[in-house]
Amino acid sequence: MTLVAASAVPSAKATRAWRARPGLMIAGALAFCAIVYLLPMLSLFGWAFQGPAGTGASLAQLSRLIGDDTYHYAFFTTFKIAAITTLICALIGYPYAYLMATTGPRLAMLLTAAVMIPFWTSVLARSLAWMILLGRKGIVNEWLTGWGLLERPAALLFNSIGVQIGMVHVLLPFMVLPIWSILSRLDPGLPRAARSLGASPAAAFIHVTLPLSLPGLAAGATLVFMFAIGFYITPALLGGPNDLTIASLIEMVVRDLLDWPFGAMLSLALLGLVALVFACGAAFAGAGRIAGMEGR
Amino acid sequence: MSLSSASPQPRINAGRSALWLLAGLTMLFLLAPIAVIIVVSFNDTTLFSFPPSRWSLRWYHALWESRAWREAGWFSLWLASLVALASLLIGVPAAYGLAKGRFPGRRLAEALLISPMVVPVIVLALGLYMLFSKLGLIGTPMSLFLAHTLLALPVVIVIVGAAFRRLDGSIELAARSCGASFPRAFWHIVLPAVRPALISAGAFAFLTSFDEVVLTLFLGGPRTTTLPKKIWESVKFELDPSLTAVSTILIIVSIAALLLVEVARRSRIQRQAKEAL
Repeated sequence: MTLVAASAVPSAKATRAWRARPGLMIAGALAFCAIVYLLPMLSLFGWAFQGPAGTGASLAQLSRLIGDDTYHYAFFTTFKIAAITTLICALIGYPYAYLMATTGPRLAMLLTAAVMIPFWTSVLARSLAWMILLGRKGIVNEWLTGWGLLERPAALLFNSIGVQIGMVHVLLPFMVLPIWSILSRLDPGLPRAARSLGASPAAAFIHVTLPLSLPGLAAGATLVFMFAIGFYITPALLGGPNDLTIASLIEMVVRDLLDWPFGAMLSLALLGLVALVFACGAAFAGAGRIAGMEGR
Repeated sequence: MSLSSASPQPRINAGRSALWLLAGLTMLFLLAPIAVIIVVSFNDTTLFSFPPSRWSLRWYHALWESRAWREAGWFSLWLASLVALASLLIGVPAAYGLAKGRFPGRRLAEALLISPMVVPVIVLALGLYMLFSKLGLIGTPMSLFLAHTLLALPVVIVIVGAAFRRLDGSIELAARSCGASFPRAFWHIVLPAVRPALISAGAFAFLTSFDEVVLTLFLGGPRTTTLPKKIWESVKFELDPSLTAVSTILIIVSIAALLLVEVARRSRIQRQAKEAL
């Protein structure tokens, strides 16, 4: 095979001409995205900034968004949920990814399967499972009261506890996979070298392994935070009336109040926040590292 | 300074045990809800007792008897298959162009084609609703087909694109220099070389559509009831035990897809090992 290629290597010019051709192969996908993706995004702008009678331009929706405290509350709730979810995911996900990267192939496979199976399982089915587990007469409460650990059932569902549990469950793989990706490619000789120079295992980890894996952690945190602020299904099913997120607010404004212009403005605000989080993460971890993990 | 600490001898380490304990609890947290919903679906009572006091298939039987659930199942299956096919048809050439092409604006095109993945689905749903209502597509199967394909396309581009980047370009140049036309070389040399990635991409594109809820809720109507949509509508009304049976079916489809992907991946590794010999 190599011999054939070597004996008949096309000229540099021919290679360049041939290489330009693949550019045309993206035309189909670009046309599709222009219609089904860019056009809808543009109509959001149109609706959000349209004038009172549907003509001209106006900033009325924007000033409504900035001026009203009720909407600020939804943004605050969303950020709180996203921040707590990101923190818990980092605390659980890092040690998990570390073990995944440093243990033998069989155990690593087991740890990977435990992440990949939920990752690709319907979010709806999993939220339903949490509803069965966490309800007042749910399995967790039945067991805890049955064992005498709790006197009366705890409120775990339709409040922020339920939302947090469900969100961490859905987003944990997005934290584990980028950290694992960077740790598994780390030269195991580096921490070993630190150890041979007299560093304790903890010092070797803190001064060598951890700093080298920070971009993975940053990529994971960016993904988790970004998906958490736009999440709809889990807060809607597991949360209570106090857990109104931006996504739920958009749904409410559009479907119940039929207020498309304001729904469009909220959507643009959410989109802007996601872009901001992505930009911060990309500055720290590199856009490619984040994008590479969007394998979902 | 002791050299002995550098030796890789295995020893019982308190830190490592604590790490395993944490990982064990995390695995329990990740898998328990899935295991519980599967087990509960074989319950014989209307209560969600765990473990079930009596086992039965009555909730599966109830699903099968219900025409509405059966139709939703078939519709989901058809929709997801068509979405997988369409996203492969548009996505594979695009992934190739992005991986191997050298043209101005390549990075911008790549960012555009992958970005639907990070845009909150609720935002896509509202934008598409505004567009499709103008086109009279709301409530039609076509609207879901287009919307789901938009979500599945980046999945295909990311997975197949990674495979194209790993692919050695010389085998393709060899085919071309032996006189194969570009389409011929692409079909007979390039695509077979990335077959495992094509299978993964197809399976994950299928799942993306099969499990999708938000776009389906916004853009669908009575004629476009998928399994997740019907679950959503029922769960808002009442936590019915037959929902655990549908959820189990969704979970089994996901696990089957993951197994398919794993088998495809292993066959590639085996082939590579053979070629290395």
